[in-house]
Amino acid sequence: MAIEELTGRWDYFSLPSNILVGHDCYLERKDSFTRFRSSRSPGLILGNCVRVYTWTTFNVEPSGIVEVGDDSILVGAVFMCAERITIGKRVVISYHVTIADSDFHPIEAAARKLDAIANAPGGDLSKRPPLESRPVMIEDDVWIGIGAIILKGVHIGRGARISAGSVIARDVPAGARVAGNPAQIIHEAAN
Amino acid sequence: MTLPHSLPHDWYPAPLPSNVRIGEGSWLYSSFAFLHCRSTRQQAVRIGRSSGVYMGSFFDLGPNGEVQIGDFSTLVGVIICSDQKVIIGDYVFIAHEVVLADHFAAAPTSIESNSEDADSESSIKDAGIVIGENAWIGAGAIILSGARIGTGAIVGAATVVDFAVPDYAVVTGNPGRFMPRLATTVKESL
Repeated sequence: MAIEELTGRWDYFSLPSNILVGHDCYLERKDSFTRFRSSRSPGLILGNCVRVYTWTTFNVEPSGIVEVGDDSILVGAVFMCAERITIGKRVVISYHVTIADSDFHPIEAAARKLDAIANAPGGDLSKRPPLESRPVMIEDDVWIGIGAIILKGVHIGRGARISAGSVIARDVPAGARVAGNPAQIIHEAAN
Repeated sequence: MTLPHSLPHDWYPAPLPSNVRIGEGSWLYSSFAFLHCRSTRQQAVRIGRSSGVYMGSFFDLGPNGEVQIGDFSTLVGVIICSDQKVIIGDYVFIAHEVVLADHFAAAPTSIESNSEDADSESSIKDAGIVIGENAWIGAGAIILSGARIGTGAIVGAATVVDFAVPDYAVVTGNPGRFMPRLATTVKESL
């Protein structure tokens, strides 16, 4: 592997044409985009001055759209996107964070068995049961701590702080600090 | 202590930073571990004897960051993101996907210089994180500034620790809770 592809010095114009990259972005590892398979146009929007580090991956289904606002820092954000994940401006996403807008498999056992067969090597992916997805929205100035997991349908309000290791399955109000699994509010917004 | 300029087995072409020391019999997977290392300390990373620092480990250190690793310790992919001193003792196990960091939302670029002019012989007292001898850190655990993991202590998988864990104690969960019965069993067996 060329070292340039690990150190942000590769040609960002070699990305698929449905990926829009703003000015002064730093995209450290080219492989962050190898599981991007959105057929939407655009399927990924990175604002200006977005920094994307080694551990980040964009796993985007054909139907998915990911949008990241200006000046955000994605350290180790693992995006699992089937519909829409929106990240605001000046958001910090730390190491080992997963953000998913779908469970990616049915809850119901019999349907999940069909999904297992369709997903097996040599399986027919067109026979997958329909995915349930709900968009994830993370507002401006949110900080997401190390190892946090953000699940489908979650709205995180402006300036919220997600503590390390939190599992977020419900909305987080603006300015709140949450922690734990399942996450609890430990500080309300300062007025 | 040896001062290798490069690792004989390395696939990554960058030389080792000059402020990295690797002791006799120790293994470091690659100079790739220093991709984000910006420490200007005289001894940014010091690895003792017969310790292994394996693939996936990174030293994302700020200008004041300094890491000491003891002898016979095994680190199988720890990320250390710090602008302070991090001390890891002898005979320590650190499992996969563990992060040691100054800040809950740490990032390589957002490392603030908060250790004001610490001199080169700063003590354990000034360290951001201390992991004692013979401690065991489980997979996915998150160790934050202020953590003091005692001798022989165990931190369970995915536990978040930013506090003192007494010697031979076991702490698990998020928020972390002590498991006193197990701790007693461990003590009594010694």
